[in-house]
Amino acid sequence: MRTTLTTLMLFVVFTPAGAQDAANIKPVKVPFVLMPSGHFTVTVKVNDKGPYKLIFDTGAPTMLVSNRLAKDAGLLDKKSSTPLFSPLGAMAQAKAKTFEIGPLKGENVPVIVFDHPTVKAFSDHFEKDQGVIDGIVGFPFFARYKMEVDYQAKELTMTPNGYQPADVMESMMKMMLGGNADQGKPKVAGAAGQWGIIVEKDAKDEDAGVTIKLVMAGSPADKAGVKKGDRLLTLDGRWTESIADTYQAAGYAKPGKAVPIVIRREGKEMKLSVTPANGL
Amino acid sequence: MSLRPLLACWSVLLIPLLAKGEEAPIEVPYKLTGTKHVMVRVKLNGKGPFNFILDTGAPALIMTEAVAQKAGVKVEKGWAKLKLDVEGGVTLPEAKGLAIDMFQLKGMNALGVAGVELHGVIGYNVLARYRIQYDFTQDKLVWTPLKFEPPEIQRIGGKGDGGQGGLELLGNMMKYLAPLMGMKPNFAVSPRGFVGLELEEKKDVVTVKSVLKDSPADKAGIQVGDVIDHAKANSVERIEDVLNAASKLNEGDKLFLRIKRNGERKDLTIELGKGL
Repeated sequence: MRTTLTTLMLFVVFTPAGAQDAANIKPVKVPFVLMPSGHFTVTVKVNDKGPYKLIFDTGAPTMLVSNRLAKDAGLLDKKSSTPLFSPLGAMAQAKAKTFEIGPLKGENVPVIVFDHPTVKAFSDHFEKDQGVIDGIVGFPFFARYKMEVDYQAKELTMTPNGYQPADVMESMMKMMLGGNADQGKPKVAGAAGQWGIIVEKDAKDEDAGVTIKLVMAGSPADKAGVKKGDRLLTLDGRWTESIADTYQAAGYAKPGKAVPIVIRREGKEMKLSVTPANGL
Repeated sequence: MSLRPLLACWSVLLIPLLAKGEEAPIEVPYKLTGTKHVMVRVKLNGKGPFNFILDTGAPALIMTEAVAQKAGVKVEKGWAKLKLDVEGGVTLPEAKGLAIDMFQLKGMNALGVAGVELHGVIGYNVLARYRIQYDFTQDKLVWTPLKFEPPEIQRIGGKGDGGQGGLELLGNMMKYLAPLMGMKPNFAVSPRGFVGLELEEKKDVVTVKSVLKDSPADKAGIQVGDVIDHAKANSVERIEDVLNAASKLNEGDKLFLRIKRNGERKDLTIELGKGL
């Protein structure tokens, strides 16, 4: 009876992310191994083969696996290795039918097969204590989850969030080969709602924030009590360090929803609440 | 024996508990760059803001030498002690950082593929002090300070480059591709022009709810109650349609609107002004 119960409990806690029931929005804990170098590794299975140790890297826009892993997991069997970029040596793009980290299962995860020299150096350095390291887990996997990284507990908490990560290679190639129409022109940043202010900042002005040059009568900013001469420091927690910053911060503030702003008036910091209007 | 109470127990345990004395979580704005890097803005010794990538594949806070210089950071044998502020309200009064020449970032900056200029990365020695929640369906990260002193790192290779995983890989690639593609970086941002209209949407009809006095809309003769029929060449059914038509217009640019007032059609041109 005890065994059955334990098994059952484990099953409840570690519901596979691929399952279609309501349980799949439950958070799942994945332990990781903190390396003496400050990196951490997770144990993965690729196409049901493994386990393999990979570095978990939020700074990696792609997934990277060694040729050793690729061969072992049959990643390159069907389509023969198609070199993606030659400058760095043998590199191929493949799709892992399944990519599992503990109980989490991703399907059709794009990976790059490449013996990365840095990963190799790591692997060699730590092999005695940690075993071989076979690549990097990056954005295409973790972006699919709400993820918490806790170095103290040495665990990740992952909850599927429905986010569909775009393939970085595809989107960058697209960007490089096409989309030059707007090149050379500055990107235009606009507020998501109407505030009714004009902000200014001198080129020589290095202090935090921007100055409110004008508050339009009857505008949302006017109603919130913003005054000409106020120094706007943050907008919904975002720094308004420049005029461009201010527009970009206001680009996140949805109309009809109150957002906090911090201003400095006569040497004192104050918090106000502005509800941008639906308009422009 | 019923399993229900037991299961309930487990789901309670699954909810992250706020440990006693745990500090309040801080919402940190971020941007996902064109290269799918998680970028936050920081100030170093009060100077900035600078754009940094969150990188568990980096052993420490690493900044370019140029940025270290700009921020007036004192560097000894590559390392510097500095005050680190992360946008949203995270402050480390005495953060340790490496100042090195980051060819990876140089590569990306040369091309401009990230869409923003990058100045450094935040790695293990800072990241480990917080429990950080990433969720790309939200526009902010959540950082909860931990009462935890991360163990010192052991550096390998010793070439001042702690192995930045994918970042390094991508930077390398960029360096090779840049001249081939003939791309120039473009990080400039210009503010959109101002109109002065508040709009209302009912059953696929967008009407003017208010017009700010002396605003460009006011000067063009738009009145409360006018129905916006077309913005530029596009028919309007949603407020978004008007916003989209104006999304790339600067101060001084013109926005064409076709409106309906008392059953009559009227064409108006608004010269956008300054403001937001």
